[in-house]
Amino acid sequence: MQLTPDDIIVFTLAGWEVNATIVNTWIVMALLVGISMLITRNLRPDVPPNRWRTSLEVIVKLIQGQIEEVTRNSARHVMYFAGTLFLFIALSNLMLVVPGFSPPTSSLSTTAALALSVLVAVPVFGIASGGVGHYLKTFIEPSVIMLPFNIIGEFSRGISLAIRLYGNVMSGAVIAAILLTVAPFFFPVVMDMLGLLTGMIQAYIFAILATVYISSATAEPDAPALKKEDKS
Amino acid sequence: MSIDWITVIAQIANFLVLVWLLKRFLYRPILDGIDAREAEIKRRMAEAGEAEKKAQAAEAEFRQQQKQLLSDQDAVVKQALRESEDQRDSLLAEARAKLEQEQQDWHKHLERERQKFTAQLQRTGEETLLELTRKALRDLADESLEEAIVRHVSARLRPIAGELSDAAGDSKEAVATTRDTLPEAAQALLLADVKSLLPGINLRFESDPQQSPGLVLRVGGAQVAWTVDSYTEEFDALLNERMAAGASGRIQPAGT
Repeated sequence: MQLTPDDIIVFTLAGWEVNATIVNTWIVMALLVGISMLITRNLRPDVPPNRWRTSLEVIVKLIQGQIEEVTRNSARHVMYFAGTLFLFIALSNLMLVVPGFSPPTSSLSTTAALALSVLVAVPVFGIASGGVGHYLKTFIEPSVIMLPFNIIGEFSRGISLAIRLYGNVMSGAVIAAILLTVAPFFFPVVMDMLGLLTGMIQAYIFAILATVYISSATAEPDAPALKKEDKS
Repeated sequence: MSIDWITVIAQIANFLVLVWLLKRFLYRPILDGIDAREAEIKRRMAEAGEAEKKAQAAEAEFRQQQKQLLSDQDAVVKQALRESEDQRDSLLAEARAKLEQEQQDWHKHLERERQKFTAQLQRTGEETLLELTRKALRDLADESLEEAIVRHVSARLRPIAGELSDAAGDSKEAVATTRDTLPEAAQALLLADVKSLLPGINLRFESDPQQSPGLVLRVGGAQVAWTVDSYTEEFDALLNERMAAGASGRIQPAGT
């Protein structure tokens, strides 16, 4: 039983074994970019939006609204990052229902890559927002004693992000595969439906947590940091 | 469960590329389009607000004008009545003046026609009188009218011959003027009378178509004449009296 698509080698390119995780990631990327290009071409303010453009606008405004609720500002670069996280994870998890398609998010390598991206993005956004001094100062707050704990917390939340996403997606796939052997005509359908739901929730949680981390890094020193409880 | 670090690096690269692609093809076009549409809607809303303000101002002005118009309605009606009365009086005065002018023109025309008729009647009367007199003289006395006129003038000349000679002064010529040329017999008769009554004075005969029928004899500053003017003047007076009586609707009895 394959637990991760990393083990499936699709083709070899100049000695580099391209596995199903990367290929499926490209498929998801192609879908996202292709649909976006198809809908957003020839956009003009004087032309009324069609239903596809309206759908995209709803999705983008929903993402922007959620991010603004967390960060209390409408910084677009945060939305580019967190929104892409959400869309990529959500579409990957939705494609769980495609027969023979292994979601890239069921690979620990993918979730680790996304978590590393968040781990790097948090200090990058923090430094870009308030400078190096301000960012480093957050590690000794509320006192210097908290420095090691803050450093551990910084890394542990990246690890928790990766493991959480991987575990949820992979567990759904594993449970579906196990139930397929026990009751092949009923339970897999129910589990796939449940997998769609949890996949969307995981995408939302991952994006929101990334936004919270970035928001806490970019918040003013005196302003109360808006942090959401990690309840997942 | 293991982590393939090469896949991790590839996925990080894939994710960064995806962020850039979605920023380029999804977020920026959609958000810019929304912003542009919001700006367009704000602009149109502002224009609509301006248009509404203008419409409200125009409505208020219209209502004010309507109110003012209603309040001024009585004054406007009175003014219109006064103007119409003035115009009616003006038109009536103009019509009266025109009528009076036409009446005056008509009277003048009638007067001209009357004078023309009177003159024509006078000439006809003179001609008729002469013809009748000539015929009566020929029938009754077998004498021509011209010779009778010459004898009448000679008869009137005789008692004042001395005065005429004095009046002639240095002038040695007398002029006998008639409307038509006198017949030779009458000329000879007058010539003989003048020679006998006014010796030394030559007689010359002239004709003047404007002169009344008859004979006018001028010697220096004096003259002796017989014309039908005196008769026609009486005839004119009688004719005017009868015409006046006809115009007033009354007929005067003859001889009164």
